[in-house]
Amino acid sequence: MAKDIKEIREKGAEYFFLLCSLVSIGAVLLICYFIFAGAYPALRDIGAWAFLTGDLWKPTDHPPSFGIFNMIAGSIYVTAGACIFGVPVGVFAAVYMAKYCPRKIYPVASQLVSLLAGIPSIIYGFFGMMMIVPFIQENFSGNGNSVLAASIVLGVMILPTVIKVSEVSIRAVPKSYFEGALALGATKEQSIFFVGIPAAKSGILAGVILGIGRAIGETMAVVMVAGNSNILPESIFKSVRTLTANIVLEMGYAAGPHYDAIVATGAVLFVFILMLNIVLNIINKGAQTSGGLS
Amino acid sequence: MKKVLLAVLGAGLILGAFTGCGKKGDDVNGEGGKQREITVISREESSGTRGAFDELMKITDGKTNMLFREAVIVSSTDEAASKVEVDKFAIGYTSLGSVTSKVKALTIDGVVPNEENVKNGSYKIARPFVLAVKIGSGNQLAKDFLKFVSSQSGQAVVSKAGYITVDAAADYTPAKLSGKLTLSGSTSVEKVIQKLKEEYEGLNPGAKLEINYNGSSAGIKDCLADKSDVAMSSRELKAEEKDQITGTTFALDGIAVIVNQSNEVSNMTEDLVTKIFKGEARFWNDVQ
Repeated sequence: MAKDIKEIREKGAEYFFLLCSLVSIGAVLLICYFIFAGAYPALRDIGAWAFLTGDLWKPTDHPPSFGIFNMIAGSIYVTAGACIFGVPVGVFAAVYMAKYCPRKIYPVASQLVSLLAGIPSIIYGFFGMMMIVPFIQENFSGNGNSVLAASIVLGVMILPTVIKVSEVSIRAVPKSYFEGALALGATKEQSIFFVGIPAAKSGILAGVILGIGRAIGETMAVVMVAGNSNILPESIFKSVRTLTANIVLEMGYAAGPHYDAIVATGAVLFVFILMLNIVLNIINKGAQTSGGLS
Repeated sequence: MKKVLLAVLGAGLILGAFTGCGKKGDDVNGEGGKQREITVISREESSGTRGAFDELMKITDGKTNMLFREAVIVSSTDEAASKVEVDKFAIGYTSLGSVTSKVKALTIDGVVPNEENVKNGSYKIARPFVLAVKIGSGNQLAKDFLKFVSSQSGQAVVSKAGYITVDAAADYTPAKLSGKLTLSGSTSVEKVIQKLKEEYEGLNPGAKLEINYNGSSAGIKDCLADKSDVAMSSRELKAEEKDQITGTTFALDGIAVIVNQSNEVSNMTEDLVTKIFKGEARFWNDVQ
């Protein structure tokens, strides 16, 4: 009897856990369905090619134009810009945290980096709008609402991701690697940059990809500093509109074909994120099969 | 795979950096640093305020929108104001009720944007807030609500909400009707309609108003399709709409053209405002 109850209890727990995982899987599938089913009418009516390569976005014109090429480019520009600022700073910060940081400072520094991840994006946006945008306008050309401003803000936003993941992977490099390098006469710097980082590169790359994922999906902070003009920026001081900005700016009031086109914009963004995930998987798999560190 | 990815990324970055530097040099040296570009600030395409502004300033011809393509687009009235507040070279527009002392509202053709001038029609950049019902609709509750908003007590609420009143009709005596009334339409009227709703429901405890904000045009469509009883519009009804619905203007809202406090310009012609927003006049030097 007692055994039966125990069995039921175990089975019950199992089903409960199953249910929980089904909820999360179901959420993903539901979102996929919503996005792609919603995007289909727009892609059918506008034409996938015209939608992806058109450089005019004029939803209220007669007839309206729905082309998101400039926004795809915009998303790629600001994400690339974020990497220029965020990746070197992030990786070197991770090197410091893993190899140089004194024991006393480490907990504080680590907490502060975590705090950086916890700051709401609208605060980043507000900071960018009040400090970075006017700074760029004063010291460079244009009105400050630019690719550069968005890149700096996003660069700071991806720092915690890059730092944390890189730090873990640098720490995971066996001590013997460094010791071997030192024994062969390398300095500490040489042992880190020529032995440690190459050994940890797949982990660092994974951190970068996660950072890119965050940058490309970021909305509020970008909307406040990027200017959101629908143009293909010819310099980093020109305004730019990202895919996410396009969605959040117009979602509220859009109706009919305009609404469909917005959902389709979301679908394109979704495909970008999926591709990033696939790349991340390939990197992780490569690291495992080549005997590297993940 | 990784190398290709990195190469593509790197090439993009280097290209961007180079074109960026080249451009910057041109601007600074070529213009002597004095010729400052006007930062045009507008709203997203589907905003009611932008719709009204574009139409009044002839930035759209009804078919094609000709807003300057490099205009900075913001998503709310408040954001437009704060952009103008921090950018010395900015020009934007907001609802007259939202103008603060942190920005400067321009006079247009010498006319000060204020309540009086909007009401007497001399300040041209203004739009009506309209409530509309389908022609032939027998909805008594809708009729009573419209009677309330254009009455003295309704107009007192409009004035308190910061908008400009229209000439009030007779005083309102609550008809004490009960039932549910659905309204849909403009997001711009939210502030004032919410107050009118509270006041009306207070006077008529049996009545319940359900309001859905989905934009002027969508609201009118809802009303025609009998999905809602009353349409709320923050623009004049179009001729083809007037065939099927009848509107009551219950408030006026001026749109102020705003610039930074430190800007020396304090007056513009309507024509110049249009030119700036179309991107035909791009530097403050051309304006002064």
